Amino acid sequence: MESVNQQFIEAGTLMIAGMVFVFAFLGILVVFINTVLVPLSKKFPDPQPTHKPKKLTKTAKVEGIQPNVVAAISAAVSNFRQKHNKE
Amino acid sequence: MEQLHTLWMSTGLANFETDQVIMMLVGFGLLYLAIAKNFEPLLLLPIGFGAILTNVPLAGFSEVGGLLHYVYYAGIDTGIFPLLIFMGVGAMTDFGPLIANPKMLFLGAAAQFGIFATLFGAIALNAIPGFEFSLQDASAIAIIGGADGPTAIFLASKLAPELLGAIAVAAYSYMALVPIIQPPIMKAFTNVEERKIEMAQLRHVTKVEKIVFPLGVLMMSIFFLPAATPLVGMFCLGNLMRECGVVDRLSSTAQNELINIVTIFLGLGVGSKLQADKFLNVETLGILGLGAVAFSIGTASGVLMAKVMNKLSKQPINPLIGAAGVSAVPMAARVANKVGLEANPHNFLLMHAMGPNVAGVLGSAVAAGILLALVG
Repeated sequence: MESVNQQFIEAGTLMIAGMVFVFAFLGILVVFINTVLVPLSKKFPDPQPTHKPKKLTKTAKVEGIQPNVVAAISAAVSNFRQKHNKE
Repeated sequence: MEQLHTLWMSTGLANFETDQVIMMLVGFGLLYLAIAKNFEPLLLLPIGFGAILTNVPLAGFSEVGGLLHYVYYAGIDTGIFPLLIFMGVGAMTDFGPLIANPKMLFLGAAAQFGIFATLFGAIALNAIPGFEFSLQDASAIAIIGGADGPTAIFLASKLAPELLGAIAVAAYSYMALVPIIQPPIMKAFTNVEERKIEMAQLRHVTKVEKIVFPLGVLMMSIFFLPAATPLVGMFCLGNLMRECGVVDRLSSTAQNELINIVTIFLGLGVGSKLQADKFLNVETLGILGLGAVAFSIGTASGVLMAKVMNKLSKQPINPLIGAAGVSAVPMAARVANKVGLEANPHNFLLMHAMGPNVAGVLGSAVAAGILLALVG
């Protein structure tokens, strides 16, 4: 019976020590994120995508064609394809 | 006539023992759960098949010279398989949501209470005749509450190898049951108003932060808890490969081919531990029961911690995401999201819940390290 009590005490100690340690460890990690990572992110921000805007403007130009012109071309293309399919 | 007798004696039918048949049925049961119910199929399928193979009479799969014997001793007894899986999990994990909202680490810590409370429960079971769990056994059982398969297998292989089969089956079964076990507990500890709480959008996390984070975790583990470095170290290696952006091939292998290959062998190896003489006893029932308790306490303590933090913090915290503090990535986060959506259809908690979810992985690895250091 005494050994069971002893085991209970051991388990209780383990529970308290374990929870304290888990909280302490992850708590230090919180401090680490706030004191190291956050300043780092301000010092080294992700490089702004420099190429993308250019590409975007290019595609924007392509998309800039007036809708009625696009409609006319696609109508002509489908017409052409239909004819060729029949032949 | 004698040859006929010899032939008959070499058939499985003549050599079956009742226990083996029962364990084969357990194996078929696991296959059914995997295939028909889609419960953690990636693991329960090889585990179920391994359970069938290991109980085949005369074949000696799990005796010296048998395939499963070597698979077990090469990969699980040494702890290699769970650690390789952990590397793959690291390569799949995005710490972004956690770095953006570091307080979530406390939710991951709170949910580990399930582990330590169950430790107490396992010792309490010793009062019932038929149970004789040592502190090592109790620790290995309790880690089921961490809801992390590889961690549970790693710790069980070190502390209580004879209970490994039951512990692994319990861990993976409960992980598959997360969508069933968690919602009632989450609802019991929160009211509708709390479940409706919407959270502020997360900030952008830069690449440098994501690269330094695993290194920081590794250093902390080296300084404060070297016993956890096998788990934490492999996890951080996988994560660094993912985030550094220069070894995409390795990262892709770790999170695809390698983890798949290891999963097959890990499952078979765990299945080989489902032998009749080691599995069919009251202790297995105790382990299954304690696993459910561990899981429920972990969920509840995560939710309660989130409620406290919501009261104290300036920014609102939805208590539901506390439940994701038990690891079970990403299922627990999805469940938090789903229960949140039920209360408020415009409330998407998934990214917020991923924070405590990955914190839970770290938390259970740390808890495993503590148990190894103190009990192992």
